[in-house]
Amino acid sequence: MKQGHTQGHTNVLLIEDNPGDADLVRLRLVESHSDVQVNCVPRLSDALASLDAEEPTLVLLDLDLPDSHGAETFRRIMRKAPNVPVVILSGRDDEALAIKAVQQGVQDYLFKSDLTSKQLGRALRYAVERQGLLHALEITRKQQIEFKNQFLSHVSHELRTPLTCIHQYVTILLDGLAGPLAPDQSEHLKIVLKSVNQLHAMIRDLLEATRAESGKLRVEPGCIDIGELVHQAVAMMRGTAGEKNVGLKAEAVEAIPLVYADPNRILEVLINLIDNAIKFTPPNGSVLVKASTVDTDPSTVYLSVSDSGRGIPTESLPLVFDRLYQDPNTVDGNRNGLGLGLYIAKQIVSLHGGRMWVASQPGSGSTFSFTLPLYSLAKLLTPVITCKGRLRENIVLVCVELTPVSNVLRGSWKETCQRSLDLLRLCIYVDKDLVLPPIGSSGPVKTFFVVASTDMARAGILMNRIRDQVGALPELTDSGTLQVTAEMVPMPPAAAPGILEQQVLVVADRITEIIQQDLWTRRKFADENQENAH
Amino acid sequence: MNRAKIMVVDDDFDLRQALSLRLRANSFDTVNVCDGYSAIAMAQKEKPHLIILDLGLPAGDGFAVLKNLQHFPALASIPVIVLTARDPAANEKRTLESGAVAFFQKPFDNEEFMSVIRASLHSRWGRELSHREQHA
Repeated sequence: MKQGHTQGHTNVLLIEDNPGDADLVRLRLVESHSDVQVNCVPRLSDALASLDAEEPTLVLLDLDLPDSHGAETFRRIMRKAPNVPVVILSGRDDEALAIKAVQQGVQDYLFKSDLTSKQLGRALRYAVERQGLLHALEITRKQQIEFKNQFLSHVSHELRTPLTCIHQYVTILLDGLAGPLAPDQSEHLKIVLKSVNQLHAMIRDLLEATRAESGKLRVEPGCIDIGELVHQAVAMMRGTAGEKNVGLKAEAVEAIPLVYADPNRILEVLINLIDNAIKFTPPNGSVLVKASTVDTDPSTVYLSVSDSGRGIPTESLPLVFDRLYQDPNTVDGNRNGLGLGLYIAKQIVSLHGGRMWVASQPGSGSTFSFTLPLYSLAKLLTPVITCKGRLRENIVLVCVELTPVSNVLRGSWKETCQRSLDLLRLCIYVDKDLVLPPIGSSGPVKTFFVVASTDMARAGILMNRIRDQVGALPELTDSGTLQVTAEMVPMPPAAAPGILEQQVLVVADRITEIIQQDLWTRRKFADENQENAH
Repeated sequence: MNRAKIMVVDDDFDLRQALSLRLRANSFDTVNVCDGYSAIAMAQKEKPHLIILDLGLPAGDGFAVLKNLQHFPALASIPVIVLTARDPAANEKRTLESGAVAFFQKPFDNEEFMSVIRASLHSRWGRELSHREQHA
């Protein structure tokens, strides 16, 4: 930190526009402190600049300056240097304002009219001492929060070891690996297993909430097909809904543009909301998950989970996202968890730059909604598809598809895809081509897109290079296949100067369209395959 | 029929026993060790087809074991599945980069765990076996 009193002398920044007053205060200061250094400035702007250059031991401040008046003056000083004590030089007529300043964090005030060196010296020492104490308190507070977070993180990790042991032996018994069980015994053990799973979920939530609080929650946003994610979440929760005989449906508008978000995290949020909705919906009720866009807010996607449950009382609505909030009306037997799920979900959404809120009519259900930003391809494309202020003549979209052989390991396939992507990035010309950020997809087939500023003939060379380089990756030849295809991107009419930005947007839209068409075809194909399999 | 041999490396005695019991019930042979040093020594002696490895271990942690396995040509290709209480955010990527084929956090899903074991054995040991049979 920049500090002016490291050598033990007192460094005072005096902000006073009246030269007579300034001289008087300077004189009293020197009388009270033999080692005082006074830097006097007449304006707030000078003072702020001086605070930027060096932090003084203390600020002595007149509230009425040529460029600032009243409360605004001390607020701006305190915002600029929150750790420097401020003492106000007040006139008899504005004591009320000085008292207000003290209430807002100024250390003290003195009357200019009867300033003695003794009084000034005392005020100065006390101000510095008190500020020091406040600072120490703040540090202690931060240390305590850090300690608490470390403690929680340590504890939740340590709890996992014995929990794993309980889980293992319970499932050994339940799976009959230690001999047959009587029906009663089996039922009892299932209850143990259910409780173990609840405890497991609580440990997970505890750790996540701790991370959220200490700002360590991380999201890795990519370009994702939100419709697919909604379908996936619904598929994963169908079992839970079925057990309770609650209807669960997804309604994702087909034409939703790609979203910029972390697919794993958003899946977690959706599952959390759906799980909650099912929990609070009686049998024969229904839960609906929706993804949509609205014309008034074109850069955002809206997601919602609605249930036909009993709803949330109006007075509880502002509390549901609080840490540790639990529904007070939960009937016995329906255990609540820690009350961290919605808190974590909201944190995850805000890390994406989105909002989350709830609307509810007691008696007729609740709707939890959140927003996510759409993915902006135009920004990414500009340096590649433009040259000297004009759009390039030809642009080709190359699609690189990696399909794993069946029964390949998830972890090693992920690695293989990552290595392929690294290699792919080496195949292109960085100033003319661009590998688009990977499109998050839950399925095992991984698709990478390359935007190449070139014509079809040259694109062929690039495609061959990709086949040679990526296709030769030993991990890939072992565990999957590579397919490279290309498509011309239709270009807008020849450039009229000055509307380059719009043209980039048009190209970005066309590329997005091609990619989405591709993803939807793939999804439909996968859905049909699934249906045929049933 | 050849039974695959799986080595379990974990410093928790009870968990080692539980894992062995489940693996044997699934027709695998098992070898148990409790620290990083014995893991390498036992791997050299027993030549397991797969290793289940904890990260927090005495006498050389899981990362040291992964690294040391790479030093022995006979051991370098044994698939290793990491099974740990530690945080995946801080450890999953690193273990996969160090040569593990999969990462599981404790507590883990039995079915998923067994299917990954089978798939790992299928993809590496299976090939080796058919290779041996062809040349037998």
